[in-house]
Amino acid sequence: MNFLETWVTNFLTISMFIYIASFLLYLVRLFKGPSIPDMILAIDALGFDLAAFLIILSIVFRSPILIPCAIVLSLWIYALDIYVAKYLEAKEMGE
Amino acid sequence: MKMDIELLNWVLVIAGQILVAIGLFCDFVAAILMIRFPNFYVRLHALTIGSVGGAIIPAIGAALIAAGSPFLGNFRWFLAGGALVAALFIFILGGSGAHAIARAAYRSRTVKFKPCYINQLAEDKGEDEC
Repeated sequence: MNFLETWVTNFLTISMFIYIASFLLYLVRLFKGPSIPDMILAIDALGFDLAAFLIILSIVFRSPILIPCAIVLSLWIYALDIYVAKYLEAKEMGE
Repeated sequence: MKMDIELLNWVLVIAGQILVAIGLFCDFVAAILMIRFPNFYVRLHALTIGSVGGAIIPAIGAALIAAGSPFLGNFRWFLAGGALVAALFIFILGGSGAHAIARAAYRSRTVKFKPCYINQLAEDKGEDEC
């Protein structure tokens, strides 16, 4: 294990803790949100940051299988946005 | 020649780490603001900090780190390309999703306007303000 590998792994391992702390703060807004759009905002930020967190995890764990998960997760968050927007405006999910 | 490639790897890793550090700062600030901001329309600002500053910039930084890390083996190019594609998707989808949810929340009147100082869209439509 050379110096570069130790440096990168240590940095990303420390950055994981800050990500987890901010995820917990987003969860506070998700459970406390007074209306549905507030909860959707919290889920949006949580999902996009989770995609970036998965990319960092794939470097730390040396497993490339996590990268397609990040791409698909961002697409699902967008689908959630569109479905909830459609539901709020028309009171139906769209056939 | 070997020395040059090692130097290039270090430059890529340090640049990527600076971007990841900016992203960590933006992410933590957005998580605090998401709790502290008073209503839905102000929290849209926290969402934009969290998705652009907290997700796109660390993804690009992780791509640079992966490109400069030879210990990852051959899949580091796959990792760098996938991280850039994820950053591009978040760049396109984050903004348009936030616009869609804001428009739906305004038109369906599910969120409260407290505190409300001015509402020029309602003025233009001839409705009551706030």
